[in-house]
Amino acid sequence: MYLKLAWRNLWRNKRRTLITVSSIMFAVVAALFVESLGEGTRQQLLDNMTGFQTGYMQIQDYRYEDEPSLDNAFLFDDSLEQKIQTDHQDVDFLIPRIETFMLAAGEEITRGAMVMGIDIEKEHQFNEIRDRLKIGEFGESGEQKAVLGEGLANRLNLAVGDTLALLGQGRFGMMSSGLFEVSGLIDFPIRELDNQIIYLSLEDAQWLLSAEERVTNLVVVPENPRNLNPLSQSLSETVKNDELRVLTWEEMMPELIEAIEFDELSGRVMLWILYVVIGFGIFGTILTMTLERKREFGILLSVGMYRTKLALVVFIETLFISILGVLSGFGLGSLILLYFHFTPIQFTGDMADLMHDFGFEATMEITFSPEIYMLQGSAILVITLLICLYPSLKIAGMDILESKK
Amino acid sequence: MPIITTHNLSKVYNPDTVPVHALRDVNLEFEEGEFTTVRGPSGSGKTTLLNMIGGLDIPTEGHVEIAGTRITGMKESKLIEFRLNNIGFVFQAYNLIPVFTAYENVTFIMLLQKRSKQEMKERAHELLSAMGLKDKLDSRPKELSGGEQQRVAVARALASRPKFILADEPTANLDTDSAMNLLDMMEKMNREENVTFIFSTHDQRVIDRARRVITMVDGAIDKDERKSPPS
Ligand SMILES: Nc1ncnc2c1ncn2[C@@H]1O[C@H](COP(=O)(O)OP(=O)(O)OP(=O)(O)O)[C@@H](O)[C@H]1O
Ligand SMILES: [Mg+2]
Repeated sequence: MYLKLAWRNLWRNKRRTLITVSSIMFAVVAALFVESLGEGTRQQLLDNMTGFQTGYMQIQDYRYEDEPSLDNAFLFDDSLEQKIQTDHQDVDFLIPRIETFMLAAGEEITRGAMVMGIDIEKEHQFNEIRDRLKIGEFGESGEQKAVLGEGLANRLNLAVGDTLALLGQGRFGMMSSGLFEVSGLIDFPIRELDNQIIYLSLEDAQWLLSAEERVTNLVVVPENPRNLNPLSQSLSETVKNDELRVLTWEEMMPELIEAIEFDELSGRVMLWILYVVIGFGIFGTILTMTLERKREFGILLSVGMYRTKLALVVFIETLFISILGVLSGFGLGSLILLYFHFTPIQFTGDMADLMHDFGFEATMEITFSPEIYMLQGSAILVITLLICLYPSLKIAGMDILESKK
Repeated sequence: MPIITTHNLSKVYNPDTVPVHALRDVNLEFEEGEFTTVRGPSGSGKTTLLNMIGGLDIPTEGHVEIAGTRITGMKESKLIEFRLNNIGFVFQAYNLIPVFTAYENVTFIMLLQKRSKQEMKERAHELLSAMGLKDKLDSRPKELSGGEQQRVAVARALASRPKFILADEPTANLDTDSAMNLLDMMEKMNREENVTFIFSTHDQRVIDRARRVITMVDGAIDKDERKSPPS
């Protein structure tokens, strides 16, 4: 009967209940949206950086990080590959890369470029790089073909079929130069690199740079990218004697972690502002409800209802409201998130450029994570329940005579 | 033994600022089965007296005894339980829980007393029928007239089987017909079930129906008259 009392009281002032429920709902939806979008954007950024730049984990010469030169490229042969693969079942496969800066020239224009020799099959298996091709194809080893970032191609005024000249320094100061046919253009997800990147086949690049069988980075693709540290440690043991070291993406990009943490923090601040605003709104309706029913409470206390019981009934009422609000927030929030998940927010024009300049893609992705639901749902539930303690406290300290006036 | 005794009951509101002597040295006794009204001009202390007897207010001096139990100075939780089991209350208006039907309003108080379902059901039907509300069991307060609401309130007060019923101006918000009708019901319960009623009023016609009339002036008992029971 107490539950009945609480439940009916809910619907006594339908409008007020609906207002309260919908403000809680709105809070939940907004919180879910902010968090899921933030998380999605951060995840996307991370995926791009790890997918196209660093991988989750790399093996490098131990000097390479301080001095990223071809002189610190290392020999990657079958024996090294075998050693790693047999010792580490949790390593899925290895991707060899050779990277260096060179001058790239078209007909008239010359620019600095980042040349990367890759094993296209392995690379694609890891990050589906072929899907990023705007036009053309990656070349086979020995074909002397290059794929350019769209940004770079525009700057050099090059199109597919044109000839690209590369000039630079190979291993141990050797002059290196070569002509390559542009075989494809790629939309590189990291903006700065889109203006710089040139992909060659691994062998072509090694030959160009006088670094046969050598690589600057060996990207390790783990079976489970979530738990990198144990693998990183055991791998280090394996390759230590080869003057190699293992770096996780976190070690390679501390600035990225900082940026992500900052982004997370600013998202949190926004959420707290939201919580406070909504909290005051809910408090307002709860406050009027308490005042309006003061007399009723007084009568119930007079005829013999314990304060604790009355406080409990009123608390259950507000609990109903809160749960209703949070659940409907989950419902509506999921609909909205689903919608944006399948129709990602696509920025165009200036906004798209702006996003690019900040290193984001013009498409914002939404992450679905039960964790966000749990966290936001319970945060808002806790806040509303704290607010809802107010009438109960009021009842606990109420003067019966006062309340009947 | 009287069921209610007040000993030198005094109440001073705002003793430190503008003291108001709402009750001055009131000594009264009420016997079981009485049908008493407290009358007096506005501000004479009727409500204050009833609140003292009902344990809703604390006297400045003196004390109240109910059936040999001293309620003045009782701990609040004990007092609430004492009220629940010994005193029925009818207030001037808005007595009922708005979201409950007449029937639920009456059973609710028995639920607080933890009575059996069977008893709750039987007594609620019995009382509401006695109050002439047989057809209104499932009506919510706002679907009832003021008089009907007060009758439900009386039924609720009776439901807990209290030793007596306190009613502060129960007819104040009612038109004459409804007021007389409520009085009829109260009288009937008093006659048939020997329920003790103490009620305050301004209304002369209500006063005429009481068998004992206590007149208050300025917080003190001015007159205490008993009519011989009608034969
Ligand atoms: N809580 C209070 N604080 C201060 N003074 C009070 C309080 N309650 C009552 N009084 C004063 O005590 C006196 C008696 O009040 P009480 O309400 O008992 O009168 P009453 O006879 O019931 O009047 P009415 O017929 O208008 O209901 C009045 O002067 C009133 O102003
Ligand atoms: Mg009064």
